[in-house]
Order: sequence, then C-alpha cells, then structure tokens
Amino acid sequence: MNPITQLQQILIDHPEVFTSDLELKRNEYLKVKGTTDTNLYLVKSGCLRVFIEDEFEEHTIRFGYEGNIIAALDSYISEQPSPYYIQAIRQTELSVITKQDFDGLIQSNPEYFQVWHKILGLLIYQQLEREVDILTYSPAERYRRVLERSPNLFQEVPSKYIASYLRMTPETLSRLKKS
Amino acid sequence: MEKLIDDLVERTHIVLNEAEALKELQKANLQWRPSSESWSVLVCIEHLNRYGRFYIPEIKQRMQDGKPSKPGQVFKTGLLGNYFAKSMLPKEKLNTMKTFSNMNPLNSTLEKDTIDEFIQQQKQMLQILGDCRTVDLNKTKSAISISKLIKLKLGDTLRVVIYHNQRHLVQAHKVLREFEVYQNSTQKV
Repeated sequence: MNPITQLQQILIDHPEVFTSDLELKRNEYLKVKGTTDTNLYLVKSGCLRVFIEDEFEEHTIRFGYEGNIIAALDSYISEQPSPYYIQAIRQTELSVITKQDFDGLIQSNPEYFQVWHKILGLLIYQQLEREVDILTYSPAERYRRVLERSPNLFQEVPSKYIASYLRMTPETLSRLKKS
Repeated sequence: MEKLIDDLVERTHIVLNEAEALKELQKANLQWRPSSESWSVLVCIEHLNRYGRFYIPEIKQRMQDGKPSKPGQVFKTGLLGNYFAKSMLPKEKLNTMKTFSNMNPLNSTLEKDTIDEFIQQQKQMLQILGDCRTVDLNKTKSAISISKLIKLKLGDTLRVVIYHNQRHLVQAHKVLREFEVYQNSTQKV
C-alpha cells in the first residue's frame, strides 16, 4: 500500500491529533513569508499552492490537493521563519495538526514510524525528480515530464500557476498543450 | 526585536488576506461612497498606496545603511514614535483624523488595480520585515512623511505604517457595511 494512504488511515484512526479546522477563501493566504509555521495541514477539500517570491516574480513550488498533507516543510523541520507563501487557489478546508501532536503520534508506534520514514523517502525522491524538472532545458520536455507524473494537476490548477511551476510563460504552456 | 517583527508580520498577513478578499468584490461596491466628501473602499486603499510609495523605498534605504542588531536585543519604542504608532491603531469607534491634501485621493478615478498595487506593497513589506530581523531597529532611524524635522526609530516607523494600514482597512469595511445598508434601503423603495 502507498505510504501516503497508510498515513491517511493512521490519521483517520486518531482524530484526536487534529487540533482544529480551517476554512480559506479563494486567494487567502494560509502562511506568508517570514512566519514560522510548524503545523501540518490535511487538505479536506480545495487546492493550495506553495510559492516564493523574488524581486521580479513568484515561483510556484508545490501544490496541495484534497487528501494531501501540506506544510511549510522548511519551518516544520527548522522551527525558524520561512520564505514560503501558502495560498488557497480556491475555497479550501483544512484540518490542523501541530508538530508536537504529530511527532507524538508517529513515535507512539514503530509501525507508524516506518510509514513516516517511507514518506520522507518518497519526499526526497520527489524533490530529486523536481530538481531534474528544473534543470531540464527544453520547456516541451519539462511539460512532458510533469504531465506524465501528475496528469490530474491540469484538471485541478489554473494554467497560470502551472506555467509558473513549469518555469514558462502562460503563452508557452498554452502552445505546448495544443501541440 | 523578534517579538516586534513577528507581531508586524502577523498584522501584515491579516491585511494581505483582507486585501485579497476586497479584490473579489464588484467594482461598484468598491467605488461607492456614503457621501461626496467621504471615502470609498478604493480611496482608502489608494491613500495607503500613497504612503507606501513614500515609506517602502525610504525604509529600504535606511535598512541598507542601518546598523546590525545584536542577538537577543529588545526593541524599545521612542516617546514620539509610540505616540504616532498608537494614534494610528484603529479603535472601537474610529476617530477621524486630518489627512494631508497630497495624501487625499478623494476625487481620483480608481480601478481595481489599486488593490493589486496594495497587495504588491504588502508583499514588499513582508520582505522588509524579514530583512529587518538583522537590523538594529532602535539605533536605525527613518524619516517620516509629515515632517522633515522629525526622525523615528525604524521599529516605530514600521509600526506606524502597518497600524495605519489596519486603520484604513477598518474604515474600508465600515464603508462596505454602509453600502449594504444603502442597498437594502434602495431595494425597498
């Protein structure tokens, strides 16, 4: 079984780890640059994006959909302020888990710890894939890689954010989609 | 210092979300004003933009020339700085304040891109606040828009600007509530 599905089952079995629920309106920010946020969030419905901003533009880094767990992972690990913004792309419902509660749950059972260990491995693997994405020179190839890996992305997320994720203009993305 | 910055980042986070919510509203709601002398939502926002256009480059410049902070240093508000900052904080019942004419956009024609500029300014402010974590907010001073004679501690200037944003967002929400009442009353006739 997929370790993410296993983790979801663990969380369902332990509803006490959810400290609260949150509702975000379209375009509302869950987190802004410069805040420390060590919570994990289970996406009950809707969709979010994680991005950073330099002097010139925004760079979309990741997306979170229904059933995903989303976090400012750098802050979660370091407990320091992070440059990430997390924004709801549309109306979104989340359940909040604090780092302390989550760590407590994971450490309470060796099986849970195994699952979490697998997820962290998966996360590293995804980051390596993403690194290749970013280093891939050809926009057409970048598009192909992501389409193959996450076809549902294109059903869930507006094109302008996908274009930002793929490091191309919305015009280029629209041309690639047609070809 | 960290405590002050964390508080100001949190306030700016709220301001940013309120601005995003305003952007979802119809232009007619945002341009409506209770009377010919009072401000619409867009006028409130444009007023803040004008302050931002002065303060954001001013603060950035002072930060660059500023002194680095020491670890564990605490921000101590200045006498005048604290007075200005506190007078900006929105109260239960919003008191009126005098607006300098160059900062009064009353009769300008404003579109929704006014809010885009404001959102952009808030993101710049978050960048500034992050960068300020290593700046001595006591010893670094900044100019203010209303007088060339007075300089405030950078920490107080940040408080003034961010509290001022909150003040006029409270005003904007008040205008929106009045708009609802107005709409309900006209529908009945």
